[in-house]
Amino acid sequence: MGNFGQLMDGFAIALTTHHVMIMVLGVLLGLVVGVLPGLGAPNGVSLLLPLTFTMDPISAIILLTSMYWGALFGGSTTSILFNIPGEPSSVATTFDGHPMAKQGEAVRALTLAFTSAGIGALVGVLVITLLSSWVANFALRFGSPEYFAVYFMAFASFIGMAGGSPFKTLVSIMLGFAVATVGMDTISGEGRLTFGLRELSNGISFLVVVIGLFGIGELLLTIDEGYKFEGVKAKLKLSTIFRTVAEMPRYWVTIVRSALIGCWMGITPGGPTAASFMSYALGRRFSRRGKYFGKGEPEGIVAPETADHSAGSCALLPMLALGVPGSATAAVMMGGLMIWGLNPGPMLFSTRPDFVWGLIASMYMGNLIAVVLVLATVPLFAFILRAPFTVVGPLIAIICVIGAYTVANHMFDIWLALAFGIVGYAFKKLDYPLAPFVLAVVLGDKAEDAFRQSMLSSGGSLSVFFETPLVATMMAIGILLLLLPFISRFAGAVLGKGNAAEAGDGRHA
Amino acid sequence: MNISRNAMEVATALVTALAGAAVCYGAMENGIGWTESGPKPGYFPFAIGCLILIGSTATLGQVAWKSLAAGPAGESGHADSFINGPGLRTLAAFFLPIVAMTAISAWLGLYIGMALYIFYAMYFAAGFRLYSSLLTTVIVVAANFIVFEKLFMVPLLKGPILEYFGIY
Amino acid sequence: MTIRISHAGAMVALALGCGFAMPGAALAEWQPDRPVELVVSAGPGGGSDIFTRVVQAAITKNNLVKVPLLVVNKPGGSGSEAFAYAKDNPDSAYKVYFGTQDAYVLPLTTKVNYAYSDLKPLAAMVSDVFILWSNPKASGINTAKEFVDKAKAAPGKIRAAGAKAKDADETVVTLIERATGTDIAYIPYKSGSEAAIQVAGGHIEANTNNPSESLEQWKAGNQKPLCVFTSERLADKTVVADGMSWADIPTCVEAGIDVKNFLQPRTVWMGKDAPAEAAAYYTDLMKKVMDTPEFKEYAARNVQIVDFQTGDKYKAFLDQQIANYNEIYKANGWLLPSQ
Repeated sequence: MGNFGQLMDGFAIALTTHHVMIMVLGVLLGLVVGVLPGLGAPNGVSLLLPLTFTMDPISAIILLTSMYWGALFGGSTTSILFNIPGEPSSVATTFDGHPMAKQGEAVRALTLAFTSAGIGALVGVLVITLLSSWVANFALRFGSPEYFAVYFMAFASFIGMAGGSPFKTLVSIMLGFAVATVGMDTISGEGRLTFGLRELSNGISFLVVVIGLFGIGELLLTIDEGYKFEGVKAKLKLSTIFRTVAEMPRYWVTIVRSALIGCWMGITPGGPTAASFMSYALGRRFSRRGKYFGKGEPEGIVAPETADHSAGSCALLPMLALGVPGSATAAVMMGGLMIWGLNPGPMLFSTRPDFVWGLIASMYMGNLIAVVLVLATVPLFAFILRAPFTVVGPLIAIICVIGAYTVANHMFDIWLALAFGIVGYAFKKLDYPLAPFVLAVVLGDKAEDAFRQSMLSSGGSLSVFFETPLVATMMAIGILLLLLPFISRFAGAVLGKGNAAEAGDGRHA
Repeated sequence: MNISRNAMEVATALVTALAGAAVCYGAMENGIGWTESGPKPGYFPFAIGCLILIGSTATLGQVAWKSLAAGPAGESGHADSFINGPGLRTLAAFFLPIVAMTAISAWLGLYIGMALYIFYAMYFAAGFRLYSSLLTTVIVVAANFIVFEKLFMVPLLKGPILEYFGIY
Repeated sequence: MTIRISHAGAMVALALGCGFAMPGAALAEWQPDRPVELVVSAGPGGGSDIFTRVVQAAITKNNLVKVPLLVVNKPGGSGSEAFAYAKDNPDSAYKVYFGTQDAYVLPLTTKVNYAYSDLKPLAAMVSDVFILWSNPKASGINTAKEFVDKAKAAPGKIRAAGAKAKDADETVVTLIERATGTDIAYIPYKSGSEAAIQVAGGHIEANTNNPSESLEQWKAGNQKPLCVFTSERLADKTVVADGMSWADIPTCVEAGIDVKNFLQPRTVWMGKDAPAEAAAYYTDLMKKVMDTPEFKEYAARNVQIVDFQTGDKYKAFLDQQIANYNEIYKANGWLLPSQ
């Protein structure tokens, strides 16, 4: 096990007092920027970058990645408490996290999220440690058709999931695609759906969409429901944290499934956002408690959080080995790497093993530190919810407005967020599913680019999606996932059993 | 004023249909065909617009069919209310000040917009006393200013008044 | 059909770098008294972004400026968002814009919200060169000649990847097509490194790229440089991989592709009405940045051609560039109808 020996060397580098201090500092800073949607991880990292110019690269990357972990945890906090996802990948956490917090169980929701995120991250780093050389080569096998197949799988797992009217799901997902289309087209270099409006030619930012749809939409719903913000009832008992941690082994099936999905999507170009959505969707389908998803179900928090963080950790490897960053934050870090004089690429592993393995070792440490620190902040965050809504409401509104503005310093984005707020409110009340909308906004343009790149390189032949075993397998799984609801409905009709028994043991599982 | 759920369903479906039509129209500018080397830039957007139109029309049909099935008296659950008068007023009382804050911010900068909004929300909406409302306003604005401008160096829109006083 | 960029005597100019004089002592006194925004016409991680952050690092580490510097990314609309911001703040003395040829090329092809006249040119600091790369293992292409032969044998089937559409990479590909009478399928990706990975993975035959974006894949044996689009060979003689150095890469003219000199200048701008003393201050600042070890290392690592241009000579260079691009884009049919 050459990797293991190198990891030990890495620990020797990462475990100095100096580096542990840096990790604590980074995580704390990350928590602050993660909690304030107006700042966010990319802002935080780019702010710290100038400070790192005088540091050695290992300390610098440890500082930046620790901040990144902190920001990821902080982002989950706002998702759960205020329904405002700080990062695309924490959107799926709002689906069950926020309902649970509204029912007065904010402490439990936060603890569940942080613990499963920590577990997910550790699984991710473990995969990196064991498979580092293999992963880098595997990632090279992904051409445009393979990219498309990965996105297709993520969509397919989600489509059949949404209950309610299929037409409303259709409208919702297609509106999401339309939003993703606005702006400059990669393939043709033309502006699309801008209607001659200068503000639209920059495209519509995902963050503006979710701040409106989820943040402002949720505020309006809360008022509509008569201020039923039940955080007040929440008792701040430290023991809840420990009880919830002890509860984790019960969800081991979900954790294993989600970690696997996360690692797969992290190694392939799917990334953390697709991973968390897919894990949520599959959790809802395969878990025995699937029908309670969306109402504050613990597994509905565990599934996306585990997948999000295992994907986030795994995605670091292709990034270092190929130099293609998976997120805005990663892109800033990559820029840092080059300024420190390191070129990301396959040779980084042999030319600077101290850097790579020091970083990997610091990921174990950084995530452990992050989990401990973030659990310590749980009572503080839960306390915020105890304030009356007449005070918290306007504060959240200000956070949303500033958050929308800081995405690109455009006033227009605030107006857009307010408009999406009304859309979110109306859609939620009329049972239009919001999740497919968001997924389409995040992955829509990437999927379209990959599709059109495949078409350009194959000369317009669709058979390119079934040419190699890799892409054909992924497409087949995608199609299977798409058809699964129909298959299971058919099987259910034929076999005619199971439903009643399952509903019976549901609540006590 | 009472808005029934059905009316809202119809209104929403009409708005999404309009959005779909707009998307179709916008896509026409980029060419909606399929060439030898794959789709033109407008091909997918056009299809997306059409699907939005189809989905919206089907939703309209569903609403119409259900309300017909429920009978003219509308005795079943389909005629329930989306929002009633007092509800709408509370909602507007919360949302319109945010709109006003945005409008003022675009003109005088985010800090002034924020200050006026918080003061309104504390003094008029929440019914705090004058001094505690003023105090809250000052704390919120100062906290934002320090966090964004000083600690994290993310400049927010200042507007002419702050510029005049040399705050940038 | 080439873009000629004079860099004759670049080394001499660098050696005489200190000779750049400020017009008048009073102008040199001007100093920023509040944070300065360094606006980038690209997203984080892109070439212009790294360029700007290196400038920021060089200034910060050497204490050249007393106020904080903020890097602001405005990648929207292929980077036109950054220059539209310059149009909105025409007289700001605290906003400096960093880009490439995009500042003057974007308005030619795309409906953008600014005109070239909204910008005040300060300087061009360095120029990136372009290299044609292949994946020898997957495509069997080892030389530029083999590439051209294959492209001739299968019109429209040989593929070249690059960053964005109707930008520098696609322009180079059209120049190759015209010089060799071939038909190459150009496939745009979001960034140059994404395009490089596609070639390294054997999915695409070739790509055009700045050296740094494919360097690591060259070392790993997944990519090979075929020829460089400069009038003379590169200067760097340190061996990179396979016993080859940058200087061993033939120029494209040598290799049989008659495209002489295609460079990507890294440019610095301000709003059109920015105060003259501020413009002079930042121009001088950039000149100082050129001499910092951080910036020199950056230029060396990216195998850039160092040629600081400013003043009237620079304006003439820009006019020449715009005329050249106009000609190429006209031939490609990329010009906006109104032009």
